[in-house]
Amino acid sequence: MRQRILTSLMVLGAALASVLLVTMPVIGQSPARKTPYQTKKSAYTPPKLPWGDPDLQGLWPATDLIGVPMQRDPKDGDRTEVTEEEFAQRQAKAERTEVADKAEYVDKNGKVGINPPGYWLEHGKPQRIASLVVDPPNGRIPPLTERAKQKAAQAKQAKQGHGPNESWEDQSLYDRCISRGVMGSILPVIYNNGTQIVQGPGYVAIRYEMIHETKIIPLDGSPHPGKNIKSYMGDSRGHWESNTLVIETTNFLGDKNGIGLNGGGTPHSAGMVLTEKWTRVAPDRMVYEAIVNDPETWTAPWTIRMPLRLDPEFPLYEYACHEGNYAMLNMLKGARAEEAAKAGKK
Amino acid sequence: MRKTLTLLSTAAAAVVCISLTLTPDAARAQSAPTKKAKPGPVKIGSRMPDGKPNLNGVWEYIGAANWNIQDHSAAPGPFWQLGAIGAIPAGQGIVEGNEIPYKPAALEKKNQNKAHWPAEDPEAKCYMAGIPRSTYMPFPFQIIQSNQDILMAYEYASSNRLINMGKPIEAGSDTWMGTSNGHWEGDTLVVDVTGLNGLSWFDRAGNWASDKLHVVERYKRRDNDVLDYEATIEDPSVFTRPWKISLPLYRRAEKNAQILEFKCVEFAEELLYGKYKKQPAK
Amino acid sequence: MRKILSFPVTLLGLLLAVSPAWAHHSFAAEYDGKKQVHLEGVVTQMEWINPHTWIHIDVTDPDGKVTNWMVEGGSPNILLRRGFNKGSLEKGQKITVDGFQAKDGSNRANGSNITYPDGKKLFLGSSGTGAPVEPPAGR
Repeated sequence: MRQRILTSLMVLGAALASVLLVTMPVIGQSPARKTPYQTKKSAYTPPKLPWGDPDLQGLWPATDLIGVPMQRDPKDGDRTEVTEEEFAQRQAKAERTEVADKAEYVDKNGKVGINPPGYWLEHGKPQRIASLVVDPPNGRIPPLTERAKQKAAQAKQAKQGHGPNESWEDQSLYDRCISRGVMGSILPVIYNNGTQIVQGPGYVAIRYEMIHETKIIPLDGSPHPGKNIKSYMGDSRGHWESNTLVIETTNFLGDKNGIGLNGGGTPHSAGMVLTEKWTRVAPDRMVYEAIVNDPETWTAPWTIRMPLRLDPEFPLYEYACHEGNYAMLNMLKGARAEEAAKAGKK
Repeated sequence: MRKTLTLLSTAAAAVVCISLTLTPDAARAQSAPTKKAKPGPVKIGSRMPDGKPNLNGVWEYIGAANWNIQDHSAAPGPFWQLGAIGAIPAGQGIVEGNEIPYKPAALEKKNQNKAHWPAEDPEAKCYMAGIPRSTYMPFPFQIIQSNQDILMAYEYASSNRLINMGKPIEAGSDTWMGTSNGHWEGDTLVVDVTGLNGLSWFDRAGNWASDKLHVVERYKRRDNDVLDYEATIEDPSVFTRPWKISLPLYRRAEKNAQILEFKCVEFAEELLYGKYKKQPAK
Repeated sequence: MRKILSFPVTLLGLLLAVSPAWAHHSFAAEYDGKKQVHLEGVVTQMEWINPHTWIHIDVTDPDGKVTNWMVEGGSPNILLRRGFNKGSLEKGQKITVDGFQAKDGSNRANGSNITYPDGKKLFLGSSGTGAPVEPPAGR
């Protein structure tokens, strides 16, 4: 009797041990390192979705990074982080902003400017990151090609002798509420930096708050559509490299959006290949990297990298930009009124 | 002694059971190779791993509901210059009973909308189509069903909405695509939509509702390639009673079916702002 | 006091360096920098729309004539995340607007400062507005 009970216990014990041995790698995690950029060396493995893909889902707004310049000051050289002194300055500025934001009453002696008040904006947390551009190593976007320079000169030439608001085409694609492009939809700006990842079997979908874009990324290895199908947000295909989601986007409309904030900056060409990498390095941390490869526009590829923080308290709201675009009407009407006034005076 | 042994073995069994339920992958992996295999494409069939019906895919309605959700014959369009291209096709309505129970004043507004079509149609202005119109626009949409929420991305005007499958949330403000809270009733996805702003129409025939509109949608798989869609429409300020629409949604069966981009703002700018453009000097 | 005055300058500098100053940088195109207005009115409607909210107010001039103005505010998404919602600005609420009038002379203004009659900033402080501070509960 005792022998049988002991044997049963041993069997149970062995079963328990084997179960624990198998579950260990899933449960056990070593703490992530403190640097903002971690790629292959990260010890963290994101949980897997029921269909086997790493789970990157969640709200990953770039709000914390508001204030980090796109390009590095040339005097900083190859330094990826600011000096302690510069960081202290950033912190001091943030503190002043917070005080001003929290002031409940307007300053009675304050001057009223034509812009709305600052507390309508969102603000970042002081960062040590020197710039969003990390490659070339000096943190500055490579020079433009001759073709790109010529196009810019032509565009400037075409504007000669024309007023700023003759037609809606004088406004940016952002102000027309058309699109900010892929990079413009994720780089940190003054508000609405919401980015949300939703995953389904065989797909990753990324929602961008402003201007309500959804990027759908098939993971089945299917090819991009042919060259004759072009779009503002391009066509994306993805695959996993270990736990990193690698997205390749092509089929862009050329000479529309740039790669800068809100899609500004030098317009990229239709031949651009944008490679993005999403790596979850901690339960609440994602490293986002984007490699811009557009030999028609820039003389070398360049890379942006930013750490994103999971923020479940930052739900995306509908940004029905075009539907509420009174500003477009107002700018055009205002310009016509001004012209009429000038003509009347003559 | 026996009591202790029983206690110990029960405890051990309990621990084993608990760890097995907590790590279903581990349990399955026990029989699979112990080395961590590269996650290959996992074939998902008609059900998701959590047992819920799989609604993932690119779907589209086929029919003339976007012209007019009620039965209608073919008719000329507003621009003879387009010839037959601009004409209105006949359509079998999607309204159950084919009657939309307007209050008299509301019916008047519908007629005014129709009279001012197409310029007044939010579709002409490239405004988001709202719910339920987005479902039966002549454009596909994709459902991305995760293990949490359900995303619907519509090709028309790059609109989208996230159906919250957790604890219902209240609409913070009124929007074009509304606030959607979903749950399963058996194999039917039930989506409760509130917070619509009353600025969308139901179709190009001027059918409309106010910001009091409340839509309850039902999505059910008929088979792998057809979803049966139903929506109950309620707006006590416009209609005398709730009414229903129903239509099939067909899976886009191309080898690499996907939604494309239809950012129509550029096509609507002349219509919206042309009046305020600088006129060339005469 | 001084901190509040110095902030807009530094922030503007930061903004100019980092991004277009505002989503619709052409505030100068919409509004006339010489037509400053001070409006005291009563809310008739709040449009929770993007890119900017619009507050409609009835302004009564000393003669008793009532004019309806539209005042431009910030993006509703931020307000919603701060816990304000469509119930936060009640019809009938008195507000004060310091801003600039539209270039085309219509009754539209850019609300550079939108406040309660006592000078308290609208949609900012938690006390007195009756609005919750926490963002709407979700999951």
